[in-house]
Amino acid sequence: MLREEGRQLYMELKNIDKSFGVTQALRRVDMRIYSGEVIGLVGPNGAGKSTLIKVIAGVFPPTAGEICVRGEAARGYSVKDAQEIGISCAYQDLSLCANLAVYENFAMLTMPHGLLSAPGWRSRKKREAKDLLERYFPGNGIDVMKSVNTLSLAERQIVEICKALMTEGLKILVLDEPTSALSTDRAKQLRDVVRHVSANGVAVIYISHKLDEIRQVSDRIVLMRNGEVAGERAPNETTADELVKLLGGEVKERCARSIARQGSRERIVEIDGLYTNHLRDIRLHADKGEILGISGLAGSGQAELLSEIFDAGNRRGNRKALRIKTLRVYGSVSYVSGDRAKEGVFRLWSILDNILIASLDQVKSGVFLSREKSETLARRWYDKLKFKAENLYSPIVSLSGGNQQKALIARGIACGADLILLNDPTAGVDIETKQEIYALLQEAKSEGKTVILYSTEDAEMEICDRVYVMRDGAMTGQLEGEEITVPNIVQASFRDVEEKPRDGSQRSRLFGLLASRMLLPIATLLFMIGANAWLNPKILSYASVRMLVGTAVPLVFASLGQMFVVAAGDIDMGNGYSIGLVNVLVGVVLTQSPLMGIVSLLVFVLAYVLMGALIHIRRIPAIVVTLGAQFLWLGMALVISPTPGGSCPAWLSALYRWGPFSIPMPVVLCVLAGAACHCVLYRSKYGMILRGIGSNPEAVERSGWSYLAAKMTNYGLAALMVVLAGTTFTAVCLGADANAAASYCMMSIATVILGGCEMAGGIVEPIGVAAGGIAMSLITTLLIFMKIGSNYQTAVMGLILISVLVVKLFLNQKRGVRA
Amino acid sequence: MKKFAERHSFIWPILGSLILWGLIGLVSGRIGMNQLYTCAKLATFAALLGLAQMIVVTSGDGAIDLSQVYTLTLSAYISCTLMSVDFATGMVAAVAIGALCGLANGWVNVYFRVPAMITTLAVGYIVFSIVLISAPYMKPLPNAALVAFINKNFGGISMLTVVTVVAAVLLALLLYKTKYGKQLHAVGQNKLAARYAGVSVNRVVMVAFTLAGAISGFAGVLCGAFIGGAFQDMGSTYFLPSIAATFVGGTVASGGRSSVLGVCFGALMMSLMSTFLNAANLAPGLQRLIQGAFLVLILVASVSNDSKS
Repeated sequence: MLREEGRQLYMELKNIDKSFGVTQALRRVDMRIYSGEVIGLVGPNGAGKSTLIKVIAGVFPPTAGEICVRGEAARGYSVKDAQEIGISCAYQDLSLCANLAVYENFAMLTMPHGLLSAPGWRSRKKREAKDLLERYFPGNGIDVMKSVNTLSLAERQIVEICKALMTEGLKILVLDEPTSALSTDRAKQLRDVVRHVSANGVAVIYISHKLDEIRQVSDRIVLMRNGEVAGERAPNETTADELVKLLGGEVKERCARSIARQGSRERIVEIDGLYTNHLRDIRLHADKGEILGISGLAGSGQAELLSEIFDAGNRRGNRKALRIKTLRVYGSVSYVSGDRAKEGVFRLWSILDNILIASLDQVKSGVFLSREKSETLARRWYDKLKFKAENLYSPIVSLSGGNQQKALIARGIACGADLILLNDPTAGVDIETKQEIYALLQEAKSEGKTVILYSTEDAEMEICDRVYVMRDGAMTGQLEGEEITVPNIVQASFRDVEEKPRDGSQRSRLFGLLASRMLLPIATLLFMIGANAWLNPKILSYASVRMLVGTAVPLVFASLGQMFVVAAGDIDMGNGYSIGLVNVLVGVVLTQSPLMGIVSLLVFVLAYVLMGALIHIRRIPAIVVTLGAQFLWLGMALVISPTPGGSCPAWLSALYRWGPFSIPMPVVLCVLAGAACHCVLYRSKYGMILRGIGSNPEAVERSGWSYLAAKMTNYGLAALMVVLAGTTFTAVCLGADANAAASYCMMSIATVILGGCEMAGGIVEPIGVAAGGIAMSLITTLLIFMKIGSNYQTAVMGLILISVLVVKLFLNQKRGVRA
Repeated sequence: MKKFAERHSFIWPILGSLILWGLIGLVSGRIGMNQLYTCAKLATFAALLGLAQMIVVTSGDGAIDLSQVYTLTLSAYISCTLMSVDFATGMVAAVAIGALCGLANGWVNVYFRVPAMITTLAVGYIVFSIVLISAPYMKPLPNAALVAFINKNFGGISMLTVVTVVAAVLLALLLYKTKYGKQLHAVGQNKLAARYAGVSVNRVVMVAFTLAGAISGFAGVLCGAFIGGAFQDMGSTYFLPSIAATFVGGTVASGGRSSVLGVCFGALMMSLMSTFLNAANLAPGLQRLIQGAFLVLILVASVSNDSKS
């Protein structure tokens, strides 16, 4: 229609339908996407914008209709197809690996998958990343070396957009609310970027709730409503007001307006001037016997507001004194969530248990729960709500979404709370159930209860007595009685509020040093050396150093092995015995027959790799598998060597005693081990994939790398470290004993934590771990010198472990790391 | 039938126990209730620790208590020492110390947001150190009256078995018939949903750890009396069978489902298995290997079934 001439039709959607169960998200959508145009996509909540984007990106296959690319119908259109033809999306939920540096997130997308790459690729990629960011967002001040989790939300959004822009052969760029966290200047830069890429022939689909922005950036504006395309406007022919009117649509028939509010106006909630991270200056009150609506564009702080009220009613949470003053709840509160899977349903339970969990006090007789009372109460609600289920004891997961929701509402009302909070309770629920839910709310109201309803469906607000509309964490309007109409709500939803202050504070250099993950282990190591030397200066001699560090080497390797497993987000509870097995393989098998020894060690590494694959493929918690596996390792070791024995191969002890350049071999080994692991994880190309899967495996897979292969590699490297740990252990104790290495499991976990790694996965620090390993084993020596029995050693270890974790908790809060 | 087996996972350890009992009969040439009674007696400690573990695992988030065996050891020492003064004091103190260890676990886990596994590891270290440090000052020999009590038997059934059954029944009442039990299972399935259903999640988790600690402590009292005294490594033998009993018995590793009956029979099955492997005259290493392989198989089979549902 508009600007068609001279442009090439790139993609065409014909009659696209998409439904999820009973809900129809898209209805006969037609859309043509031409190269080099900017389509502004606007629509109220639930209009189907996100669904449409996901259809274009190949995430959702359409229920009916056709997708044509360059005039040809694409069959079985998938995410992969979308990537191949150059469609790239910058989503609101970020698709970055938060633990990786900014440039690594970019490099992941563009690096060839071959094993090796030319040296200097890192500095090249850093430069490229810097250039890219600077080109699109001049003066952004983002350090490409920093990991993404230290960036502010706005900076992350910029990185996310740039990552989308990097896609090779980019043809269609989708920006979903790209400016939600950006300041005005950055938003303007983004508009320049959009203009620039579209001038180069890229089609841009730009979704935003900011109508002025849409008018400035788009070539044409497509309006969506109720899953349909509701019209199209040229930006210069329309105004924001007209758009709002179009989005509001015709006024639907009113749901039965509730009977006017009855009785006294007793307050149940009072909020005057509440500020939190997500909310600004909230003022609101709710009375007994009314239904209060909270509306506005999704994600404007409504859910946070409900959550604050809930916590206040339950008097818990780490609420500041100020909040208690500004937010008062008089009475008991219950909460019904529309996000059933995440915060509503107990999947393992029946309908009965799911209804009763909030009302257990009512069904007690004495100490025990009464089966009769339980059944009576649950039965009452089961019959009243006409569940479509076999019986009251059917598992909740066997029900449809709407029926699950009924159970949750029954739970919220049955507990007899004075105030019922509902967070979008009709999401994905069929019309019939919706009507039943409305009737229930009316009934609760007539019993003098208060209902606060947040819904993403604007029409639903018509059952309310009063409605507050929110935007960006603040209130933008209050509607009452007859004023509550969809057009009025839409109007208030799009009303602009003053810009939220954006965070972007710089942190001092000193703090940067304090926050370094290597600081703690290296400081501990230096302290341990200092303390030991102070008590006994002789330990600095060559022979003492060799001896002391010599006993530390197996722990360093064991911890590095543990670290590779932790990098993948798992834990190895069996490495104490797997080191024991290697000890036996080296001390018994390898000494007798080198060939057999090497083969057996290779088989051992293979077993670890397979264990990693098993954990990934069958989705079993690693802790359980590795705990089980430790008995396998022990069993095998005992079969080979039922009693302690064996010996250390002569070449091994010679090697261990050798001191090149008058540095004791153990020291060389520790330095080499730390440096080599550092190279693998931080210098090599695959290292960033190995770390990436611990943080955001989806993002890694979306960039075209295999999650399984990376996990198997992590376990393989861990096995290699275990082999080295077992070998050096043999050199230290000069024999083989299946049980002797058992304590390395706990010690290695403690070392990994001391060394600066995060058990949640992805964040590892090999040099810190190597230093931490030596420090840990020096503790023993220190205690001996201080004439403290070795009995205290484990206690000290435990205390160190806990204090390190507490220090970390504190540092992470300071660092402002976002999960 | 399949549905029944899915809902009542305890039938697997029962079946396993029966098969192993038969195999023992086959290998040793005689079959009788006595072997069953003996194995049940030996299964006591794995069963109690397994039940304690089950409570912690049921609280969700992949929680696991690695400090159990140390708690057991400490409580055994305390009971031996104090019971020489007064029987009741010893009993109460030992169980209370166990509960205290559990409370420490729960407190660190909840308020410092340290994963349960690491918390219990660290607390376990500290508890073990206390054992090492205080052992020389404590009396390792058990109270004679207690020894006499637990060695009683009723037509072959050991007093230990009776005590375990009583403890299990009490626990089953708590877990399946009280408000706390319901709340624990709710928290284990979905912490956020439990919070919004008005459950004090933190309190429930802390109580779970404390209860588990108290049971481990109680197991320590019995264990000290049964094996004729406390020693520093007394707990380690029970680690494998108790973990195995927990998961074999149908405890869901991600939390929210437990089975007291299943865990008890799981412990019995592990005890029958080691008796069988002994009776079959296998080398100790091979016995371990078979037990380990069996455990991994069970875990792979049971855990992944649950995550699919």
